[in-house]
Amino acid sequence: MMKKATLLVIATLLFGSCAVVKEYEKINLNDPDMALSLKKCDGNLITAHAYREATVGANGGKTGGGCGCN
Amino acid sequence: MNKALNIFFCVCCAFALAQTDEDQAYKKRILETTEVDFLSSYYAQKGDNAAVTGGIGTEELTDATAAIIISIPLNDDDVLTVNTSISAYTSASSSNGNPFDITGASTGRGEDDDDDEDDDDDDDDDHNSGNGNTVGTPWNASTGASKKDTWFSVGVDYAHSSDDRDFSCNASASFATEYDYTSVGFGGGILKQFNQKNTSIGASVHLYLDKWNPIYPTELKSFEEVNGNLTHGFFSGVTLLDQSGNTSTAWQPHNGFQLIQNTERNSYAATFSFSQILSKNAQLSVFVDLLQQKGWLGNPLQRVYFGDVRNYYIGNAASIPVYTSKQNTDVFQLADDIERLPNTRFKIPFGMRLHYYLNENIVFRSYYRHYSDDWGIRSHTAQLEIPIKVASALTLYPSFRYYTQIAATYFRPYEQALSTDKYYTSDYDLSSYSATQLGFGLNYTDIFTKAHIAAFGLKSIDIKFYQYNRNTTFSSYIITAGITLVSD
Repeated sequence: MMKKATLLVIATLLFGSCAVVKEYEKINLNDPDMALSLKKCDGNLITAHAYREATVGANGGKTGGGCGCN
Repeated sequence: MNKALNIFFCVCCAFALAQTDEDQAYKKRILETTEVDFLSSYYAQKGDNAAVTGGIGTEELTDATAAIIISIPLNDDDVLTVNTSISAYTSASSSNGNPFDITGASTGRGEDDDDDEDDDDDDDDDHNSGNGNTVGTPWNASTGASKKDTWFSVGVDYAHSSDDRDFSCNASASFATEYDYTSVGFGGGILKQFNQKNTSIGASVHLYLDKWNPIYPTELKSFEEVNGNLTHGFFSGVTLLDQSGNTSTAWQPHNGFQLIQNTERNSYAATFSFSQILSKNAQLSVFVDLLQQKGWLGNPLQRVYFGDVRNYYIGNAASIPVYTSKQNTDVFQLADDIERLPNTRFKIPFGMRLHYYLNENIVFRSYYRHYSDDWGIRSHTAQLEIPIKVASALTLYPSFRYYTQIAATYFRPYEQALSTDKYYTSDYDLSSYSATQLGFGLNYTDIFTKAHIAAFGLKSIDIKFYQYNRNTTFSSYIITAGITLVSD
């Protein structure tokens, strides 16, 4: 119950206070290094992690299929 | 935890939907011109806990990968992407699927005069006639067929965006193959933006239909081929030794060893994502994958040695006392079994990215992931990358990553599994450990694409290096390079 309450509070604080950023105000957010997606050149690194670690997913890379990895 | 995540997403969705969408920006092409990415990498690792040799032995491996990704704008709204990749590796541990040809003594490699239906014809891992000089060691590579392999994959993705760019969807298909594995995959996803493109919610599904072409440890496959007769086939003329170094023919794999009947491994993945612009300088994304796997989830090449049964060897009896040390160059322990793992696995990785634009020179890119599955594995991943623009076209990429995991319930180190266990593996990738990774990269970007190669302009070059160290004997590094070209 405490965990749920904590998450609700965090979510409310985090998103409830967000001001809408207009398109013309997004120059910094449009910097290529601000992109939230996985960079193409990091794909092979993510794949190496998928082979050597028991963990996959939640990173835009492999999710456990398509290779003999974990 | 699942309920908490559900509540979290409900809050996020409610927030997004409550906002009005007033944005009607001009229609910009999703992709202006054809882009071609050439990607390559070189990976090398070392360690002393090879799974193929039951949790001890060399893990040396190198891999070279090359990929071409071509993105073609079909019109203003649609992009077709074709990704072709080829990867060639050499692996000392995999070579020890058949460790017994290290001296070249097994002159009958590849000869096959039986009529069994499991013939792979070119698989000299499986059909190796031994003789009295046959030796091997988990500490050196052999010349087994599985020493080298090539992995090939091709993927196609079609993406469509709505006129207002607030909605997009995609469909994809993929095929991958290597010596002992084939995979066919399908997927699709949707992404909806709200709140003047400050908020987005996405969902996607992927299905992989994979199939093993099982490669087994030589002694186990040979035992099955000769129906346990240790004077025939591979075992003809080979001296088997017990723990004391005396000749013995008492070796028996666990339950007589049977080949795998169900060689399929299917994966079903559903991904949910949420991203939010927090300010003019910060944005965040949260994503959860729900992954279900079914089928043969172990690797048939990976040995397990039980602690409650007698040990048997092939090779030099004098080296048995130093079997687990690198001094052992000429004796190999016969497997008790291959790893056995449940035929289902459910994984829940939960990730979060928070990117912050400090100024025109520095950006903070942070990432955290929590992972859990029903094999008992729990892990945390934290990463920070700080792109630093040192010139208008040049950016440096220092990074640090920390990873820690709790072992799978079924993990047992060398000789610690019991023959009474139902599931067991000595794959140290499923053990408890922590790891750090230091990285450094360079990016050169020319937005004017002044340099040309044929009809393509050079857009960017990336070079990165990462050093990865576990708190065990394992370490690795990878060098990646990428070049992006755009058509004129």
